[in-house]
Amino acid sequence: MIVTYNWLKEFVDFDETPDELAELLTMLGLEVESMAKLGAGLDDVVVALVEEKRQHPNADKLSICRVNNGKDVLDVVCGAQNFKQGDTVVLAQIGAVLPGDFKIKKSKIRGEESCGMLCSEKELGLADESAGIMVLPPSIAPIGTPVFTALGLKDTIFEIGLTPNRSDCLSVMGIARDIAAKLNLKLKYPQCTIVEGPEKVESVISVTVEDADLCPRYAARYISGCTIAPSPEWLVKRLNAIDVRSINNVVDITNLIMMESGQPLHAFDCRRLSGQRIIVRTAEDGEQFTALDNQQRVLTSADLVICDAERPVALAGVMGGLNSEIENTTTAILLESAFFKPAAIRKTSKRLGLHTESSHRFERGIDIDGVGRALDRAACLIVELAGGVLAQGCIDIFPGKCDRKAITFRPEKANELIGIDLSRDIIIDILTRLECLVSPCADGSVSVIPPHYRIDLEREIDLIEEIARLNGYDKIPATMSIARVISDRPTRHQETEKRVRDLLVNNGMTEIINFSFTAPEAAGKLLLNDDDPRRIAIKLANPLVDEQSVMRTTLLPGLLETTAKNMNFRSLDLKLFEMRRVYFPGDGEGMPREPLCIVGAITGSRDGDGWSRPNEPVDFFDAKGIVETVLDVLDIGGVSWVVENTEPYYHPGKSCRVFAGREQIGSVGELHPLVQKNFEIEKPVFCFELNFEKLVQLSRAKKTIMAPSRFPDSSRDIAMLIPEELAAAKIVECIRAEKSKEIENVQIFDVYRGKGVPEGYKSIAVRIRYRSFERTLAEEDIASLHNKIVANLIDKLKVTVR
Amino acid sequence: MREQLEQLRNGALQAIATASTVEQLQDIRISMLGRKGELTALMKGLGSLSAAERPIVGQLVNTVRDEIESVLGAAIASAQEKVIAARLQSERIDTSLPGRRPQKGTKHPVSLVIEEICSIFAGLGFAVAEGPEIEHDWYNFEALNFPPEHPARDMQDTFFVENDMLLRTHTSPVQIRTMLKQKPPVRIIAPGTVYRCDSDATHSPMFHQIEGLMVDTKVTFGDLKGILTVFTNQLFGQKTGVRLRPSYFPFTEPSAEVDIACVICGGKGCRVCKNSGWLEILGAGMVDPEVYRHVQYDPENISGFAFGMGIERIAMLKYGISDMRLLFENDVRFLRQF
Repeated sequence: MIVTYNWLKEFVDFDETPDELAELLTMLGLEVESMAKLGAGLDDVVVALVEEKRQHPNADKLSICRVNNGKDVLDVVCGAQNFKQGDTVVLAQIGAVLPGDFKIKKSKIRGEESCGMLCSEKELGLADESAGIMVLPPSIAPIGTPVFTALGLKDTIFEIGLTPNRSDCLSVMGIARDIAAKLNLKLKYPQCTIVEGPEKVESVISVTVEDADLCPRYAARYISGCTIAPSPEWLVKRLNAIDVRSINNVVDITNLIMMESGQPLHAFDCRRLSGQRIIVRTAEDGEQFTALDNQQRVLTSADLVICDAERPVALAGVMGGLNSEIENTTTAILLESAFFKPAAIRKTSKRLGLHTESSHRFERGIDIDGVGRALDRAACLIVELAGGVLAQGCIDIFPGKCDRKAITFRPEKANELIGIDLSRDIIIDILTRLECLVSPCADGSVSVIPPHYRIDLEREIDLIEEIARLNGYDKIPATMSIARVISDRPTRHQETEKRVRDLLVNNGMTEIINFSFTAPEAAGKLLLNDDDPRRIAIKLANPLVDEQSVMRTTLLPGLLETTAKNMNFRSLDLKLFEMRRVYFPGDGEGMPREPLCIVGAITGSRDGDGWSRPNEPVDFFDAKGIVETVLDVLDIGGVSWVVENTEPYYHPGKSCRVFAGREQIGSVGELHPLVQKNFEIEKPVFCFELNFEKLVQLSRAKKTIMAPSRFPDSSRDIAMLIPEELAAAKIVECIRAEKSKEIENVQIFDVYRGKGVPEGYKSIAVRIRYRSFERTLAEEDIASLHNKIVANLIDKLKVTVR
Repeated sequence: MREQLEQLRNGALQAIATASTVEQLQDIRISMLGRKGELTALMKGLGSLSAAERPIVGQLVNTVRDEIESVLGAAIASAQEKVIAARLQSERIDTSLPGRRPQKGTKHPVSLVIEEICSIFAGLGFAVAEGPEIEHDWYNFEALNFPPEHPARDMQDTFFVENDMLLRTHTSPVQIRTMLKQKPPVRIIAPGTVYRCDSDATHSPMFHQIEGLMVDTKVTFGDLKGILTVFTNQLFGQKTGVRLRPSYFPFTEPSAEVDIACVICGGKGCRVCKNSGWLEILGAGMVDPEVYRHVQYDPENISGFAFGMGIERIAMLKYGISDMRLLFENDVRFLRQF
């Protein structure tokens, strides 16, 4: 909502400066989002008198003027021809800054000194084009007066961001009313005196409201013999100031009164209304209508239309029809002022995508009581500016006469909820200033009937808010309530989430956050099987773009897109992870499932380029190592790495699924070359996925901690040849199967293929560290245990000890 | 014997004086004082002396022995010092070369801000609650007093999914879910992802909010002001000015927008605060009785407040980020700075 300082001042006589007023409005809940001061900084642009005008000696098209600014007489060089000696003009003095940051300096033009500039309307930002300089009426103001003051243009435009509940402030009057209430000043309502002619309105037009539910009030007046013409300058200026385009006098008046009072009005060309009738009814399904914007629309039975005897002439509350628009030749006008049901107007406006100043007000609710006042005021103004005669009487179909219900209001409840201590009298005064009818009741409460225009005031709590608002939020003391609640500890889910995020970050990984929606083809890019549940995604009904039209079922596509994007920016060494929800449809009517998942991708060199370490690329085991660390920290037992049936998006020979007991909890692998290509990634990427919900379930809450042994250790190495297809983990498993408490640690410390190792075999070296909790192990004890282990390896796994 | 001893002493002292390394000095010790050393041998010869001479010579041997020991000890210590001094003189590394650093990972700024805010509120007694992102209209709108066809719904452009569900437009449905599960007193904050179909330099179709809710007996608007003042002071600094001004949300009344004094210009007015000196950072208010009706709380006996804020907005203010889109581009050159 745009209002101007001067306009507001016509309705309420406040002393506040524009800045103070902006602050006051904002603190009333009418947030000033921006303000523009017209003529600000232009005080050096003044009314001046051309005392003498002579030809410039060195230029045909220039003149030198002696200009009086009230203090001095200055020489100013000017190029315009449209003025003469003795004219009153606009002088931009040295130091003035014109719109467009144009600074006026003392200068020499063709050898002659010029102490300022005579301005055109364009240069002052008052017109888009102008021919020559601005010549003012001779006695407009004393010489030396700033020109914006002289022209009455000095004003401040406020743009107010209104909340949807304050429909009463969709007018200058409404905002003025709030200012008056806050400052305890009187609101000056605009005056109009109705002068009616002999012709009776009923003899000219008859109105039938068929749907009184959608149109509780319909009022109209008839004016004949008017002349459609451009609006007078004051009206054009006023509308321009609030960004409304001037059309003609009658249409401008309807717009002006709408902005002033909040009541949308519509003027029909009466000559073009068939049958001298107005019928307010719902449209027929499929009925067509061409609005003022020249667009044809198809209506439904939910739309309310204003019709003449034959056809719709306006889409009620939204836009008038092309077929009854005011034209230059119009002489007879039917002026409509009505109240339409907010929800109906909103539906129509939304469905048709047609949002107008009028629909904006109707759908939020206007003042049903003000329908007639606005109509009379506009009719008077039309007669004043466009001539013509107002018919006798006013059509006003208002069967319901809705009276407002009284609200029982307890002042002590207001104090209690807000945390203030206002007396009953002050509270009653505030409500009275808001034009509520207040009558005290015997039990200490008061009965309050709010004004019609405040449709948002229906309950006691609404009035409590008004008390807080008018009294001022700044007057409410900040207090700390005594906590009765001892907050719960974070849940295990929350704690684990933080722990894992910390852990990944501490392992050098960078967290990313992608949008939860993705492209429908993402699953295909991952080569998922047709029956993979991850192919069934929840679809958005109204996506912004196709690439964001389904809820993701896996975090991988986002991760891989991020990887590709970063590689394009030459960030080649990446360690990324995302820890967010994925979304699966619920079973039947059930809620969708939103499990938290973790994915990671690593690529590039392990330690980055450096002077001190070989630059080695990361591989599968870097990814696996991160997973191992997470599982270790969460103390998840029974972990196994299953190579069969790995995920389709991995290299089948370089990936595995991760199990804890029988539950699959994740996967690790090198990205399948085709998937890599699908995501336009240039280099190998190693990924892991973990099902966070399962991690939380399986994580052992209480770790058992053991005191370390105080006895010395002893290590033995075994180097052996094993067939390629035998997993190294089997060796460790076989050693561990010995279940001896003396085996402290088993570590694979070398894997070797090549010289000395036959084709199809690999050499594995394992170090076993023995230590007892009870004694220093004797050489013989260790030898016997170790030999048993070696014998087992040979026997069970057929290894060849080297 | 005395002469022999004297000779031995002089020989040893001379040898020590001419020795130049720790090793030579050690050798001298062994050859003199070791088990097979000369002085040791001499000691062993004491037995052949008379009982009268034995203690005198014995005494003498010990004196010589102590003398050699002490001179030798000093010589070794000095030789060792020289060795160390020489090492310190010769060994040099270029400490300007970069260190071998463990790789540093970073949390996403959105995660950082959520963690920080949650920890501030944990200190104020608020537990963390969560809820689904794919919601029923009832939780997201109706129970929060947004009736169907209400213009307030225009404030939030909604993404719809199948089965009459939607992507929650705010974290406020968590209020409803919490109150349905739990009787007062309630003190929660609910961080989470929310969605609105809007996308430009200042709007992202997905973003994050933190919701707060406190319901108890006799909670006042003044308490809301108190909690939010403590919170903003902890988040933005002790002297950050806070201002509440009237606003409107369907699920709170009275409602407020909460501004802090501009953290960029300190309230003088700049581009970020549009010259107002204030930055809007959260919406708040007293829970509307209509909301209590939906969760079967009795507004005559309890009262409470709710507040909500955008995480991205706070992250942008805290880290001086001017374009919200940077937060979701996931460029590591940006993310690694946090």
